[in-house]
Amino acid sequence: MKPRTHTVAADPGLRGLELALIALPVAALPHVAHQPPWITLLVVLAIATRAWLLASGRPAPSMGIMAILAVLAGGLTLTQYGTIFGQEAGTALLLVMIAFKLLETRNRRDIVIALFLGYFVVVTTYFFDQSILIAAYSLLATWLLTAALVQVHAERRIERRRLARQAGAMLLHAMPFMLVLFLAFPRIQGPLWGDPQREEAARTGLSDELNPGDIAELLQDESTALRVEFDDTVPPLRAQYWRALVMTDFDGRRWSADRDRETIQPPDTDDRVVHYTVTLEPTRGRYLPVLDYPVALPDDAELRANYQVLRDRRITSRIQYRAAAHLTTPPGVAEPHLDPAERERALALPAGAAPRARTEVALWRATHGNDDHAVIEAALQRFAGEPYRYTLRPPRLAGDTTDHFLFETQAGYCEHYASAFAVLMRAAGIPTRVVTGYQGGSWQTRGEYLRLRNADAHAWNEVWLDGEGWVRVDPTAAIAPERIEQGLPGLASDTGESIPDFLRRGEGLSWLQRARFGLEDWRDFARFRWESWVLAFDPERQRELFARLGLDPGDWRSVLIALGVGFGTIGLVALAWMWLRTLRRRHPPADRVLRRLSRRLARHDPALARAPHEPVDAWSRRVADARPELATAMETFSRTYNRQRFGRLTPAQRAADLDHLRALLQAVPRARLAFAPRPSRAAN
Amino acid sequence: MRADPVSGSARQRINRLRDDAIRWITRRHAQDGQAARLGRDRVYILPTRAGYTLVAILLVMLLGSINYSNNMAFLLTFLLVGIGHNAMWYTHRNLLGLRIHSLPVAPVFAGATLSIAFRLEEPSGRPREALTLSIGARASAPVAVPAEASTHVELTLPAPARGVYQLPRQRLHTRYPLGILEAWTWLTLSPEILVYPAPIDPGNVLGGPEGHATQPQAQSRNSGETPDHLRPYRPGDPPGRIVWKAFARSGKLHVRESVSGHGDHLWLDWESMPAADTETRLAMLCHQVLAAHEEGRLFGMRLPDQTVELGQGARHRDLCLRSLAQFRSEPRILDPEGSRA
Repeated sequence: MKPRTHTVAADPGLRGLELALIALPVAALPHVAHQPPWITLLVVLAIATRAWLLASGRPAPSMGIMAILAVLAGGLTLTQYGTIFGQEAGTALLLVMIAFKLLETRNRRDIVIALFLGYFVVVTTYFFDQSILIAAYSLLATWLLTAALVQVHAERRIERRRLARQAGAMLLHAMPFMLVLFLAFPRIQGPLWGDPQREEAARTGLSDELNPGDIAELLQDESTALRVEFDDTVPPLRAQYWRALVMTDFDGRRWSADRDRETIQPPDTDDRVVHYTVTLEPTRGRYLPVLDYPVALPDDAELRANYQVLRDRRITSRIQYRAAAHLTTPPGVAEPHLDPAERERALALPAGAAPRARTEVALWRATHGNDDHAVIEAALQRFAGEPYRYTLRPPRLAGDTTDHFLFETQAGYCEHYASAFAVLMRAAGIPTRVVTGYQGGSWQTRGEYLRLRNADAHAWNEVWLDGEGWVRVDPTAAIAPERIEQGLPGLASDTGESIPDFLRRGEGLSWLQRARFGLEDWRDFARFRWESWVLAFDPERQRELFARLGLDPGDWRSVLIALGVGFGTIGLVALAWMWLRTLRRRHPPADRVLRRLSRRLARHDPALARAPHEPVDAWSRRVADARPELATAMETFSRTYNRQRFGRLTPAQRAADLDHLRALLQAVPRARLAFAPRPSRAAN
Repeated sequence: MRADPVSGSARQRINRLRDDAIRWITRRHAQDGQAARLGRDRVYILPTRAGYTLVAILLVMLLGSINYSNNMAFLLTFLLVGIGHNAMWYTHRNLLGLRIHSLPVAPVFAGATLSIAFRLEEPSGRPREALTLSIGARASAPVAVPAEASTHVELTLPAPARGVYQLPRQRLHTRYPLGILEAWTWLTLSPEILVYPAPIDPGNVLGGPEGHATQPQAQSRNSGETPDHLRPYRPGDPPGRIVWKAFARSGKLHVRESVSGHGDHLWLDWESMPAADTETRLAMLCHQVLAAHEEGRLFGMRLPDQTVELGQGARHRDLCLRSLAQFRSEPRILDPEGSRA
């Protein structure tokens, strides 16, 4: 803060202060949830104090008090965050600074600085929330801030309505520029400095470990994990397995995701391919959920030998990618032979693990001999036949988790079944692995897209069959086929108690709940459009957009062309609009009223229209002869018109006369049909 | 900080350069005379300091948007860029199309303040806000002009010395609506500016060179106080001479006239002023003119190269004062700072 004399009397610029004292709190409001209460308290106190000082005509506090307060606030921020940089601390400091700037406001410059910082506060909101709701809200805040800026510079109190309209028009006029810059300004992949990812730390995607003993937190999570739009064909639900992680290594309790598979080329095929676009919420992992078999991938991702698709960096913000899948095994993919090392890994069971399961499997082998299909069938039959239950709240497993689940608790969800099934298969000598990802989801008829929540996370198996390659087996389908055919809600009938409300979309819901879910569908649709059209626009999307126009955002000439065409279009539209307005203004206002009156009369009787050569007073007498009830009005009109056009008037008189002319228009009823005579209402 | 003479002269040089630059920029504009209309060719616009501050803030916002790959931050930043860009148009338009008429400037005595007023006329149906007129470092209070109406903008300037003046270049400017840009125009309106001499009472000047310490105006007075003669009122006679008693008696207006043929007239003469230098003589004459007018006298004035014939009344007084102001004075440019050029 610079030393400045504080004897400055009320500056005319202070006229905008009232509005600034409204606009800035509005801009800061969304921060309340993210800041410690003392910041909110401080800001509210500062603003209330300033408002009180303003209302009672007192000057701002002296520099000394302000200096003490500023040091105090800086110190508090420092103790709270240990720094004054970074998102939370920086925002806190910004808020405190604005509050003090407002408190010490003495002249126009102070308010202007505070309002500029207000725009900054609006931007910092987006660190925490990028929803469409916040977008609308920050538009309101920007509108108020702009109105305050206009008022500050107007030197007199502008009428509220005019101010509101003007600030609104300013936002509206700026939108085309915003759009062009948003699309054409060359994007660079952030970050430029620091680690901006902390904000997203709260939510994680699929775990890269699978432990059936753990509580399934993800399965209770209602939030969206990904949304998918299909180009044309929507694959059958049965084929909608979105594979994300593949797990081969098992330590007796825990499966961990493969990390060491080499990169392979996706098969090159156009035949029977489903194209789709995924909008993926941040997961902090690198995996991209894709449909089997992935045949086309985004540029920044690679296919691993276990058919897992990994992006080249962590997914810390929402991304969008296009991919394609071949729904059956594409030609040339079915590996004729499994690499011996790989086979060994896919068969490994820790020594002594699941002894009871091994005994069981030995029986099946004895019965079915070498028929792998029959062994698989036997395992699935076991899940379908014995009193196994599908539940999201299984009892906790102890001891050897596989045996405990298979023979004691016999209740669990996909992870339990996938893990137990893999152990059974390995015991039978069939190479098996666990795949996690998403399955099911809800089809959003509004917007035609598939929405998968975190609750749609799923685990299944792949077994190696000689001559067929890796084949997907979903043991959960054996215990709860509805889970696969209809997604989780299909389970409502038999295991209703364990299904959260939001998953039970079908029967058994009151109209109120149904309405809530209908509304929820709408909200998700709006959110999805906002996210896929606005928030997902990144360097990759920009490259695609430019490529469609035959341009390249990496080339400055292309960028100049795009910006030039965009701004040129805006300029031309603006010129055309202004030209139209000038055309309208070419005639003096009195003539415009005259023309309206003539048109209005012509609707009653075409003969009453004024001929172009006809003097106004002659015309008005002619009309008065034809319609005596209009005589007074026409007489007044012609007199006022002539004075308006040819008399010497003060501006005030001129404006009053013009109003009078307009009022006289009302003397002629608007009726299009037969002219109903009525007493003249001529204003005199 | 700027008080030392070195930087003072540097500033003068800068001012001169600035002046030359403005003259070069405005060389294609004709002198405005009494009225001006602001067309596109004479409205200039540049960012203000607040404008550069906003640019800096927007740059930080843009860097933040890139760093955090935050599309909503991009959107808001670009929205503000759009608003800032359009402010050029808004600010320019706030000035464009205005008509400016210079209003007559009331003459003042040297040392008083001149009040300059222009009438701003809005012809295009758009209300205008926050227009300021400045001359040199002097600025008017900001004014607003309602749509299709007009407003006066006023400014006071010091008038240090007698003479005939022209206004220096005027500047009409505005920062409305956002304060980030200033649009301005240079005007060369030239209302007539007369500065009369500050009156000095010759009677109070002691020991004047000619020794006319007392009543020099008596020089050509008809000292014989002859009885008054009444004659009927003629239009133009000063009201002070009407004999109201006669009016009460006869119901007709009569005026008093001295019997002598020349009447009660008075000649104010340059030569008889008890001072050596021109300005003091003019100042004394000025006092005499005012005194004679006050007394309602018939008087004339003789200057070395000009004679104002006998007359009386306010217009005659103003004519005399104007002659004094114009006496051997070429129109000069008024210095808005008030120092004697």
